[in-house]
Amino acid sequence: MQTLGNFKLPPFFNYPPYFTLQPVRDTREKQVQLWKELILDFCKTQKIFLIGLEEDFPLFSNPAIERSLTHEAREAFLAALVSEGRAEWLDKGHRKCLILWHRIQDWADIIINFVKDNGLEDSVTTVEEIRTGPESRGTDLQGVDRVILMRALKLLEHKGKLVIFKGTSADDEGIKFSS
Amino acid sequence: MRRRPGIGGLQTAANARDQYRLLGENVAKIRTDLMKEQLATFRSQLEDFARKHKNDIRKNPAFRSQFHEMCAKVGVDPLASNKGFWAELLGIGDFYYEIGVQIVEICLATRAQNGGLINLQELCSLLRQKRKGSREAVSEDDCLRAISKLKVLGSGFEVISVGKKKLVRSVPTELNKDHNEIIELAQGQGFVTVDELERRLSWTSGRAIDALETLLKEGFAMIDDGHRDGKRRYWFPCVSSISSLGGNDT
Repeated sequence: MQTLGNFKLPPFFNYPPYFTLQPVRDTREKQVQLWKELILDFCKTQKIFLIGLEEDFPLFSNPAIERSLTHEAREAFLAALVSEGRAEWLDKGHRKCLILWHRIQDWADIIINFVKDNGLEDSVTTVEEIRTGPESRGTDLQGVDRVILMRALKLLEHKGKLVIFKGTSADDEGIKFSS
Repeated sequence: MRRRPGIGGLQTAANARDQYRLLGENVAKIRTDLMKEQLATFRSQLEDFARKHKNDIRKNPAFRSQFHEMCAKVGVDPLASNKGFWAELLGIGDFYYEIGVQIVEICLATRAQNGGLINLQELCSLLRQKRKGSREAVSEDDCLRAISKLKVLGSGFEVISVGKKKLVRSVPTELNKDHNEIIELAQGQGFVTVDELERRLSWTSGRAIDALETLLKEGFAMIDDGHRDGKRRYWFPCVSSISSLGGNDT
């Protein structure tokens, strides 16, 4: 079994036709499904939040069989994730893609649990502290992408669970959790 | 027999015919009785044999296959009826029905990958994985037997021989001679190209493309445009068995 670091690659990754977009609908559906699962799984275990379509990404090519995904194929697989709410394009040109191995809603739930576990109700913290502070160590929140975190925080703000306010430094925002 | 004139001669002739007939009937009856007796003996011997080797038959695939062969030679089908004494005696009816159901499940689960055409070897290894917990070993011969029982369902289960390999078809699509030749050729490397078909089978490119398009549309083939030489390759999952490509833990 081929591996990427500590990640086990599925068998289809070694089968050349999976690197060419299939023209027949049923076959393509299966192909897209397998790639979607692989991308999500890989990003989750490797804590990857952003895929640049024009950059090197370990899954986009397999040197062992000398195959790599065309731009069209990369876009097709990511677009399939976008349509399911498991990814978001960051630009109109579809060159950068945010991977949501937890959906925004799930990230929001994780934050709520984080607040409960650490008794942060009614207290103030910062966005950076959530990402890099000692409380988040070992949780999915550690090192979470800032864009994703902000998206989840805004969702919670909208629900009245917290308030986001401008902090002292220009690039960090304060968060006040409600009880 | 010399014919003699007169009514007496005719009567004698008729008597003789009756005698012959009677004798003939007797001989035939003796023969049938003998045959019946032999059959009964044989049947009871076969039963004894089956009873005695019940465990071997259930557990040892090679032994089971030989037992089936022996039964076939004398015109006994142990699987003909689940209620028959064979099934009661051996419980092998259930065994094959169980495998049959599992084969159907595997064929359905892999259909999106292989279009409903699967290598018998791969089917067997998937079946073994599925039955890991059960005591009885399953051979390819058992698979074939179970599949032959599935035929009565009319669901289009069939075993086709392509080259040296046996493939199990679980979709009603008929493969013609051209398709078979392509799949046979693909067994070498797992794929074919139009060029190769023209060269090896002396086909026109039209004929090659036409057959390949059909196989593609049925989901038996996948295209691969990624090779350096820029020639489109047509891969056949049914001969390359994706699940065994990268190890055996899928």
